[in-house]
Amino acid sequence: MRIRILSIAFASLFVVAGAIAVGARATGEVPAPPAIGATIEDFTLPDVDNKDHSLKSLAGKNGTVLIFISVQCPVSNAYNERMEKLAQDYKTRGVNVIGINSNVTEDAAAVKAHAAEHNLTFTILKDPGNKIADKLGASVTPEAYFLDPNNKLLYHGRIDNARNAAQIETNDLRNALDAALAAKAIEKTEAKAFGCTIKRA
Amino acid sequence: MRFTKAIIPISLFVLLVSLAAPAQKRKSGPAKASKPAAVVSPIDTDALKGLLTQPRERPLLVNFWATFCDPCRDEFPDLVKIDNDYGSKSLEFFTVSLDDMSDINTEVPKFLDLMKAKMPAYLLNVNDPEPAINLVDRKWQGDLPATFLYNEKGEVVYKHFGRVNIAELREAIDKVVKKGSS
Repeated sequence: MRIRILSIAFASLFVVAGAIAVGARATGEVPAPPAIGATIEDFTLPDVDNKDHSLKSLAGKNGTVLIFISVQCPVSNAYNERMEKLAQDYKTRGVNVIGINSNVTEDAAAVKAHAAEHNLTFTILKDPGNKIADKLGASVTPEAYFLDPNNKLLYHGRIDNARNAAQIETNDLRNALDAALAAKAIEKTEAKAFGCTIKRA
Repeated sequence: MRFTKAIIPISLFVLLVSLAAPAQKRKSGPAKASKPAAVVSPIDTDALKGLLTQPRERPLLVNFWATFCDPCRDEFPDLVKIDNDYGSKSLEFFTVSLDDMSDINTEVPKFLDLMKAKMPAYLLNVNDPEPAINLVDRKWQGDLPATFLYNEKGEVVYKHFGRVNIAELREAIDKVVKKGSS
């Protein structure tokens, strides 16, 4: 938040001073995401039954994947099966997948019904006021964050390259998980997520 | 005679009903879906790069959007108005949809028709959108809508992620559009 305020103040100074001959001013940006290697502070959010969970209580012994998801977004929905498969595949390897819904337009009841309809069995948390989306600089759904057992950010971005599963060429998130679990360096630690803009409060 | 007088109106009634019936059936039958008028062209990363970097005599406005994106749909009437107000003589303007390729002849042109949008429309046809997103702006996370204004030299002079502030965009356009050319 401090970064956001500072950047707004900085941009305002720029405008007031009229110092830009050419140099685009980006507006409408979400807060910057934490750098790869940064430690994500523990947080607590309610699940779809309004029961609070901390990140610590849901974390896997070998790491945690946070995925910002949506009920209505067709891109996020195109990933439902892939996200569930990911959760199943890596649960046995000590990595837990947690869904986070930060959309102000989708309430807990809608998230619960959607999860039941699409057989999403991993825990999904609601993020009232998109505080965690802001903290993590999440822009779209789906957007993934892979944390090591100490909550250090190892990978941030898309699940894979293609909304259409038939066009997958790079499984970026799985590649990151596999490398970390094999104690190898992650080749690609960031890949831009593509999807629907998170509907912030 | 009385019988003849009675049979004539009845016959006429039957004839009219029999003629009207097929017409009625045609009206109530399933309407044939009309083909959208708007033309949406597929574009890959290289072609997009060509469009963004080619020499031009006018500023260029580019809007990235998708039919599934609510703020994109919300801002579209404002963008159409900008296109109408400035005209292609003073401002080049094209849109790039990030919808699925399967929507290129259906959802995307249908929405453009609804908006009465006349600016050139493209749909990003790539397996991996990341190179295109990085080509446009390395700081852009791919969230939609995203709007970029380039001056005649091809430099980005304004960009906005999320629903555009129309007054702010007009102000930016006015700064780069040559006076008297609109």
